[in-house]
Amino acid sequence: MPTIRKSGGVVPFYWQGKIVDPRDDAFAEALAPQRFRTIENAASEEVSVGWVTPADPTGDSFAIEDLDGGVGTWLRFRIDKKSMPMRWLQIHRDAAEKARGRRLSAKERRELKDDLIDQLLPRVLPTVALVDALLFHERKTVLLFATSKTAKEAFAKLFFESFSLPLELADPLQRGLRADLSPDQRHALERAEPVRWPNTTQRSGAARDAASPLPQAGAAEAATSADAQEESR
Amino acid sequence: MSADAQGAESHGFLGEEFLTWLWFRWETEGGEFPLAGGRVVGVALDDFLTFAALTEDETEQTLRRGLPTRTAEARTALRQGHRLRKARLLLAEGDRQWTATLDAPTMTLSGVKLPDDAEECDSDADRTADRAANWLALHEIVQSLYGAFLKERLQDDYRTTGAESQAAWMAR
Repeated sequence: MPTIRKSGGVVPFYWQGKIVDPRDDAFAEALAPQRFRTIENAASEEVSVGWVTPADPTGDSFAIEDLDGGVGTWLRFRIDKKSMPMRWLQIHRDAAEKARGRRLSAKERRELKDDLIDQLLPRVLPTVALVDALLFHERKTVLLFATSKTAKEAFAKLFFESFSLPLELADPLQRGLRADLSPDQRHALERAEPVRWPNTTQRSGAARDAASPLPQAGAAEAATSADAQEESR
Repeated sequence: MSADAQGAESHGFLGEEFLTWLWFRWETEGGEFPLAGGRVVGVALDDFLTFAALTEDETEQTLRRGLPTRTAEARTALRQGHRLRKARLLLAEGDRQWTATLDAPTMTLSGVKLPDDAEECDSDADRTADRAANWLALHEIVQSLYGAFLKERLQDDYRTTGAESQAAWMAR
């Protein structure tokens, strides 16, 4: 059994609503339909994404005990990508052009590429990426141990397909909405505007001291706050 | 699917204000942050800082190695009103210490190093459980610090109190 990583990047997500308790067999059953399916022998350019477990990278088994991550549930998914090796395509094109003594036409290049795909892709092994995540059921939080856009999107899609709930990135707004804030503070959070810190290199000290730290954006916040109070009356 | 960072686009500035506030509090109050439940977390900025550009046309400034918070370039950036966009942080609670680079607009952590595995870990399962607890603790520390920042930031009088104090520190 491998161990979960102790370094690297992490992207937290939240969800709203209920998902199956990870201690129930139904949780593993929810993962199984989106299990990883191999493209090892595929004869076309393909990407395959699906759940596996830390103990079994094939996607063939989903035992609950294989998902044990201590305080969390250890999820793992696999992204395989099979693509035509472009260097081989270039080598074959160069050889064909040398044999004919001229550049290939667009149609000939396309036909050559199609032939090579049929010949070479079944022999090409896909690239493999295993991505881990830790799910904390009661906190409705999942930590994804990858920061690439591809991994984030693939994970969010898999999660949605398995649990029918969208994931929300734990950005400054979503984190704030989950902080222990009063209703007024939540309202202010949603309408917050940046503080424009004084640009002291363009102001004299006296002018800076005399100036109110309230920037224009502050006036906008005050206005929206007043509007909200008006609406609530 | 809502994995796209809508909140990072609309509220990314709050992440930058949060990171700059951590620096301000570290320098002016010593970097110990009391959190809920009587917990105390230590925070310091390490050897990597990136300042956000004030406008889209401006160049981002990155300072690496040594003590970038002590450099004249960093002070100049603060005086010009730049917020921090990224920084490498040292976070400590009890005898556990994490290092991580926080990308403020998305609140994503990269280059994380967890505390050493506990000595009593005898098996891979023990190590996994220990690390999972440390990943969760790191997430919750960042969340708690951000919550503490927001409670101050979202006060009605913030711009005449906390923002004023921070403005004075930035202008030093």
